[in-house]
Amino acid sequence: MKKLTALILALVMVLSLAACGGSGNDASGTPGTPSTSGSSNPDSGASSGGKADDIVLWTLAADLKQFAERYEEQTGNHVEVVVFDSADFSTKIMQTLGGKSKDVDVFVGEPQMLPNFFEAGFSADLSALDNEVKTRLVDYTYEAGCDEDGVLRAISYQACPGSVIYRLDLAEEVFGTSDPEAIGELFSSFDAIRDTADKLQAKGYTIFGDTGALRWFSNSSNPWVKDGQLIVDQDRLDYFDCAVDLYQKNQVAFAQEWSAPWYASMAGPLPQLTAADVDEGTVWGMDKDDLLAQGQAGGAGITQVFSYVMPSWGALIVRDNAEGNKGNFGVCSGVCGFFGGGTFLTINEYSEHKEAARQFIEFCTLNDDTAQWWLEASNGDVVSNKAILEANSDYENESFGNQHTYAFYLEEMEKIDYGMITGYDDTIKDAFGNAIISVQKGQQTKEAAMQEFYTTVTTLLPEITIPADAPFYSPN
Amino acid sequence: MAVKEKTQKPAKARKGGLERRNYYGILFCLPFVIAFLVFNIYPVFRTFQMSFLNYKGFGKETFIWFDNYTRAVKDPLFRDAFVNTLKMWGVNIVLQLGLALLLTIIFNDMKYRMKGMGIFRALFYLPNLIACTSVAFLFKTLLDWQYGSINQILMSAGIISAPINWLTGEGLTAQMVVGVVGAWMWFGNSFIMLMAGVQGIDRSYFEAATLDGAGRWATFFQITMPLLRPIMLYVAVTSLIGGLQLFDLPYLMSGTKGQPGRSLYTAVFYIYSMAFGTSTPQMGYAAALAFVLFLIIAVFCGIAFKLMNQKEED
Repeated sequence: MKKLTALILALVMVLSLAACGGSGNDASGTPGTPSTSGSSNPDSGASSGGKADDIVLWTLAADLKQFAERYEEQTGNHVEVVVFDSADFSTKIMQTLGGKSKDVDVFVGEPQMLPNFFEAGFSADLSALDNEVKTRLVDYTYEAGCDEDGVLRAISYQACPGSVIYRLDLAEEVFGTSDPEAIGELFSSFDAIRDTADKLQAKGYTIFGDTGALRWFSNSSNPWVKDGQLIVDQDRLDYFDCAVDLYQKNQVAFAQEWSAPWYASMAGPLPQLTAADVDEGTVWGMDKDDLLAQGQAGGAGITQVFSYVMPSWGALIVRDNAEGNKGNFGVCSGVCGFFGGGTFLTINEYSEHKEAARQFIEFCTLNDDTAQWWLEASNGDVVSNKAILEANSDYENESFGNQHTYAFYLEEMEKIDYGMITGYDDTIKDAFGNAIISVQKGQQTKEAAMQEFYTTVTTLLPEITIPADAPFYSPN
Repeated sequence: MAVKEKTQKPAKARKGGLERRNYYGILFCLPFVIAFLVFNIYPVFRTFQMSFLNYKGFGKETFIWFDNYTRAVKDPLFRDAFVNTLKMWGVNIVLQLGLALLLTIIFNDMKYRMKGMGIFRALFYLPNLIACTSVAFLFKTLLDWQYGSINQILMSAGIISAPINWLTGEGLTAQMVVGVVGAWMWFGNSFIMLMAGVQGIDRSYFEAATLDGAGRWATFFQITMPLLRPIMLYVAVTSLIGGLQLFDLPYLMSGTKGQPGRSLYTAVFYIYSMAFGTSTPQMGYAAALAFVLFLIIAVFCGIAFKLMNQKEED
């Protein structure tokens, strides 16, 4: 009896441990508790006993809940959408699919995440759709969705081309025109941006919320890495100097992106902040309404922000925070074409519902009706479907001074060169940004900051070499 | 014969019982052993194996011999992170031991006759029990440049005229702050150890010193301190081992970025960022860094134990 009791106790302990270890693939048992839709039980779904055509989708974008609802309405197939915080998402996918989980059928990724997902072997081959995606969707989204061997593995329903979003009234006042082409010329190079900033400052305005806006133009003429070598060309040095100049001459509003002053600046005048407000983090404690009230009161030390540099989703942020300025913005080109973000759908290589997953992805990305529906339902999102963008190219966008925004974005997307993007960009841009900040604040000379930048890059990415003739570079 | 049988039976029973106990022992140990092998031993071996690989944590693994280790030795950012760690630990250990020692003296001094020892001991130990995340956010709020209570108190008391930017200004200030917060968290533990050490000293030494006319300070420096040295060394060594692995406080107090500059990057923070905090993860290199850190800690500990043994031999 004692022996039996001991055996049972030991077994219970062993099994309880096994049970602890077994939760690795559980959708709800890990940090970053997701929100789910489509089912009362987040663990339930296709993989645990639903219909064969029901699937589970892990996403960052809550948008996909609407796609799932529409899909269910039209096909009767259920999609359980699990939305995660962006901070945890990549790790979550790596951990879950690293264990070859079958619990997820479709998952999303942003462009910078995709190469890792592809290399890890998590994304199923979608080359059956290759021709359709290549011909019907925006070019750069096709390239971003291919792995390094050119095999299509992810497809996006969105396109996120960049633009400069500018104030029409200020453009008329300072430059005598608000025509997008004319204003685009004012942002066509870093030198042009500096001249524009001077003219705006003379009238009491600032060109950007903060100098971080310039980062979108850091891939203007060359990729950061080519043939294993870091490229710091003249355009990058111009970008560096421009960012330092605008900062040191107080030609930006020091309204840091995503802070209350930044949002407030879209709606009207606000007090001119200082570099110290950003350095010391004061901007994060400010109140948008207070700032706008101070701005309305007028007087000395009040400024207005002329422009914002962001992908197409950023234009919607400006529109949604413009309040009285709604309709008082236009969009134009900048130093170079660029894109940022975007949600790509990919099928879990280990999914047991690959066909159902493929049908859902096709519905989201290659179905014209869905693209037109989403363009309207999202109230301004730029879809990746070229035919639908062309069909809407005459649409006059009231929020942007009746500009033909879809026609504009179609043109901008032609300028995007996906060959400019490398997997090293985030790390290198961070290091370059830190070098700029240290010079802006007067903590280092440009030479010292650049030398530190090279050291950081070669330390963090030892496979990259610095050419001997790189500016401000001394190998020892 | 009957006697012989009686003496043999218990022997057989003992043998059988021993076998059973061993058998049960193995069974009862099994859960721990399995967990230990799976969650401790396997990760250590796997990490060691990865340290010789060019490996992102997924995809292709390439064996590269000692390349990761040679890179680690030359890595200026790792060196900076290690120096940052030492700075933060230095502030921490000085305050932690100093405060603990001071309280130990006060609580052991017959002259003060402190009451409520148990309550104080619990109160001092309390910060140890608070989750590091809570402590980090608590101090981030208290030390906020504009709205933080600490600046407001200092300003209203006239001690400072302008708010001090504790965590987002100068790198050195932020490092000192993390050191102080660490000391606040862990001094209670040191205090309890030192108290136990003092109470373990034979009272006859103190009585003899009193009879010989030794004053309080002489007693403290000639008797208490020398006899307390092994405990202090133990506290310092355990603090060093923990301190060199400092991660959570600077990670959370810097908003996960290690800022200002890279001043709050510690050695472990750097290892973490190499493995998980980048779009180009380098799991193999992070594994090598982890083993380099292990070696450094082992060397530090070796030196400390050598010192400790020397003192004991003396």
